Amino acid sequence: MSKKIIVADDAPIIRLMLKDILTDAGYEVVKECENGRHAFESYKELRPDLVTMDIVMPEMDGIQALEQILKFDQNAKVVMVTAVDQREFLMKAIRLGATDYIVKPFENDRVISAVKKALGKE
Amino acid sequence: MTKHGSWFSGQGSGGRGQQETVTPDRKEIAVGMADIKIGKAPAMISTILGSCIAVCLYSSKDKTGGLLHLMMASSKGASKINNFKKAKYADTGILELLGQLKNFYGLNQRSLVAKIFGGAKVLKNVTAPIGENNQQAVKEILKENGIAIFASKLGGEKGYRIKFDLETGKVKCQIFGHEFEEY
Amino acid sequence: MENKDKIKIDRALKLIAKLSIDKSSQVLSKMIKSGASIELEDVYMADISRVTEEVMLKADNEVVGAFIDLVGDAPFKFLFYVNTKDSLVLTDLMLRREIGLTKEFNLYAQSAVQELGNILASAISNIFSTDFQISMKPKPPTVINDFESIVFQEYVIDAACERNEILIIQSIFRIVKFDIHCSMFIMPLGKSEQILQYVTGFM
Repeated sequence: MSKKIIVADDAPIIRLMLKDILTDAGYEVVKECENGRHAFESYKELRPDLVTMDIVMPEMDGIQALEQILKFDQNAKVVMVTAVDQREFLMKAIRLGATDYIVKPFENDRVISAVKKALGKE
Repeated sequence: MTKHGSWFSGQGSGGRGQQETVTPDRKEIAVGMADIKIGKAPAMISTILGSCIAVCLYSSKDKTGGLLHLMMASSKGASKINNFKKAKYADTGILELLGQLKNFYGLNQRSLVAKIFGGAKVLKNVTAPIGENNQQAVKEILKENGIAIFASKLGGEKGYRIKFDLETGKVKCQIFGHEFEEY
Repeated sequence: MENKDKIKIDRALKLIAKLSIDKSSQVLSKMIKSGASIELEDVYMADISRVTEEVMLKADNEVVGAFIDLVGDAPFKFLFYVNTKDSLVLTDLMLRREIGLTKEFNLYAQSAVQELGNILASAISNIFSTDFQISMKPKPPTVINDFESIVFQEYVIDAACERNEILIIQSIFRIVKFDIHCSMFIMPLGKSEQILQYVTGFM
């Protein structure tokens, strides 16, 4: 059975790009979310195997959503996918429990290897 | 391939609501933000605007008029020393336009009619009703000065392109995504 | 301000402009997997009436623009825009598919410009953080599709409400293979002038 993934990003084109990459690699994208709040609500509902999470999003940013998801489920796998390449954000995400931190623009291989590595930790 | 340059050519003093007289052989003159241009037929005065308001004043008898491109309703609180731009505000800008038409062409407000355009809400995440405030202020100030508004096209969420023909007093107005309409 | 301080600020601005624009062209090229050259790189003070008048005279295009506020120690406003028809090509480039598949301006074309703006603005804030230890973070973009003059006016309007002259860092990139021109603007706000003083300490 395919591993289930939620993709959270406020840009529809990035959600489409990630969905294409993940689907081609055999994963199932069960939900696309446009902000952190929607990502958290969807996580609680669907309990996916992994979430890809942007940081800069309206309503609730990705760092806040990461925190909420990991409070809810300390075993959640969340891979940050963001254009913000700053130590402060990287350290905060990793300290909170993000599995990986991918900087945009990303290569397909980088996304797949991060997802495989995160799911391989089970 | 077109050679691109910076927008700013470095010319012009900017600052004090400078007017530029439109001479008959200059076909189309553009009015930037917080500025006024006046002139006579056969010239055309044009502008493009979003939340700002264009106030076109015209004397059909003299085929003379002017366009004010204003940004804000009130100059209250603005520092009036050091490069104060009267054309930025409805209250000072409309008076400045009237003053220039009187001083340069001898027109008084009895001979003038107004057409007003703009006041759109282009950026949806802007909470302050700038466009609406501008609309309200312009209507009030024109009324206070006894100038009738012959036509108006206001509001919406897209930009306006205005061409004010001093030969006829007609204003062609195009809202983004639509054709020109005549007012 | 003393003349030598003005010279230092001027050099700081040019350094910021150079680093930001160089990084942006690299990031843009990587995002669309196609070379983007820098056609224009300029820093200037502009009178709000004159510069908006010149945009009206020079530009008569329909564009899609992404506005991003960079908040933090050095607040900036960022703008990235491209002709509406060229946004369709950028969409196909970003999605790595055949050029021409995106035939009309739709959600993905708008999103392509939104995300390019986000990535470029973030790249610039990353430089401030890494090279100058100045913390900056982009806010979510706002996108509009309108006349080029409107996009520029709405970009400068907040600053123009407060002052009559604005400082602008402008660049134009050319995506060589497709002859697409993209415009990018960076405008320092308020307390960024203090930051420029701080940056001179690195020079």
